[in-house]
Amino acid sequence: MRRRTLFLMGLAGAAGCARDRRPRLNVFNWSNYVAPGTIPGFEREFGVHVRYAIYESNEEMLARVMSGNSGWDVVFPSNYYIRPMREYGLLAPVDQGLLPNLVNLEPEFRAPEWDPKLEHCVPYMWSGTGIAFHRSLEPAPRAWEDMWNPHWQGRMTMLDDAVEVFGAALKKLGYSLNSTRPEELGKAQQEAIEQKELLRAYINAEVTDHVVAGDVLAAQLWSTTAQQAIAASKQVDFVFPADGFLLYHDNAVILRESRRRELAHTFLNYLLRPDVAAGIVTATRTATANAAARRLLPLSIREDPKLYPPPEVMARGEWAQAATPELQRLRDRLWTEVKAA
Amino acid sequence: MKRLRRLFLAPAWAVTGVLFLTPLAIIWVYSLLSRGAYGGVIWQATAENYQRLFDPLYGMILLRTFVMASAATFFCLLLGFPLALFISRAGRRKHLYLQLVILPFWTSFLVRTYAWIFLLRDTGLINTALLSLGVIREPLPLLYNDGAVLLGLVYGYLPFVVLPLYATLERLDPALLEAAADLGARPVTAITHVIVPLCAPGFLAAGLLVFIPCLGAFLTPDLLGGGKTVLAGNLIQNQFTTARDWPFGSAVSLLLMAIVMIILLVLLRRGERLV
Repeated sequence: MRRRTLFLMGLAGAAGCARDRRPRLNVFNWSNYVAPGTIPGFEREFGVHVRYAIYESNEEMLARVMSGNSGWDVVFPSNYYIRPMREYGLLAPVDQGLLPNLVNLEPEFRAPEWDPKLEHCVPYMWSGTGIAFHRSLEPAPRAWEDMWNPHWQGRMTMLDDAVEVFGAALKKLGYSLNSTRPEELGKAQQEAIEQKELLRAYINAEVTDHVVAGDVLAAQLWSTTAQQAIAASKQVDFVFPADGFLLYHDNAVILRESRRRELAHTFLNYLLRPDVAAGIVTATRTATANAAARRLLPLSIREDPKLYPPPEVMARGEWAQAATPELQRLRDRLWTEVKAA
Repeated sequence: MKRLRRLFLAPAWAVTGVLFLTPLAIIWVYSLLSRGAYGGVIWQATAENYQRLFDPLYGMILLRTFVMASAATFFCLLLGFPLALFISRAGRRKHLYLQLVILPFWTSFLVRTYAWIFLLRDTGLINTALLSLGVIREPLPLLYNDGAVLLGLVYGYLPFVVLPLYATLERLDPALLEAAADLGARPVTAITHVIVPLCAPGFLAAGLLVFIPCLGAFLTPDLLGGGKTVLAGNLIQNQFTTARDWPFGSAVSLLLMAIVMIILLVLLRRGERLV
């Protein structure tokens, strides 16, 4: 019996080695950014094979595709990576004639500020940075200022990310989240150093555990990640701060190096299909750019203000912008000083 | 004979060359280039990355790293020596105890560090137990401070101390201890005046095995320190990730390596005298 199982396994392995004659598309995406059925569904429907891998940061993705012969066809950079990737000549133009499903996008995302004519990218999903908090907190936090509340000393955390921490401090001071002025960043740094005393830690997605357990009462967190904490515990809530917040939008792009651009367009068009996009949103709990897909969702998700802030809240958000090397260096220096303080 | 020796050494040379010297050469070249805007390097030579190292900010970080690594080494030796002594005198159980020392390596270091988070946090095992016993009223702040980082480092590197110390103690002639006892030395005196001096090379090896990796540690300070401190390892890691300054990261790595080399040379020269 056992020998037979082994034999069958060997056979299956041999079959795997046999040359797959189906055309192959190479997709490199963020972790947890499709539904379990998304890729198999595409393979079945179009008789193709998809090589799929995941990454955890824009930097990681860019480092791989920078060479121009990375072997990937479709990747998903954040909005502030579109311009640099375009300048480096990494992106293939998008042929809108091959994407009839583009009409499904929300009107605002058919002309986003990072690519107004959608020449190089197709908006996919988005999220923002806010505050995840324990419901026992009185009064509930509503602005970044609350993350400086001395009463909650040792029970608050911020993200381990210079852009986010300085962004919150800049907003507290009334400046733009994307400020590039050294004097404004300097003041934000002072705020951050003051705040450090009050913080338990600088910590990213792992903080969800601590918020659910009640160790941490308020945490700077991304809306998508907060959804997981909310799903895990009724005690957790999330708010987009009243003084403004950072917004991120991830976009599907086709790399210039791709030799299967037509198939890549087919894939992008497939992702834009309402049923497919709705499936992805349900599985990943992220805000979609796809209006038609959103209409298919149950009301509780479609109108969840923690995913889709109402217009007046949304108006206070700012899309993250790419930093110049000078700004990057200044910010890193200021951040290292905060950490060493 | 000579040719045979060369033949046998060839694989070692190949491995050293490909896996050690080549990456080192790449780091050295990168440290002399300019940073690319989005990671990577631009082929434009500059000494700027080394000039930046003289900044007091980075000096403080290096100093803090050395203090932390020294403290971890000290506690590892303090805890590891009695344990190694115990195992070397354990008779038939010796092998069992040695296996137990190695046992943690069966699990990934990352997983074990996460386990510490679950032990140390406010609602963790230690605080919950103390609270329910009525020993404390408020949870102790065990996690996310320098103490937690030190604990994590000592925990992680303790086996590296026990094994070389055990190897040295094992070879120690028991007759020497009997002689010490015959001459009127109490057990404690025998340890401090006979065993410790004779095991000095073992202490040196064990200490270095802890000290050097501690200098470059970035996982433990990040996870158990809650990102509130920055040690040399974190500084370097950050340059290659979010700061996107590979040349500066390379320069810091090389500086750290140079310092370690100097320490090694000094200690090894003294170590020869010890033997």
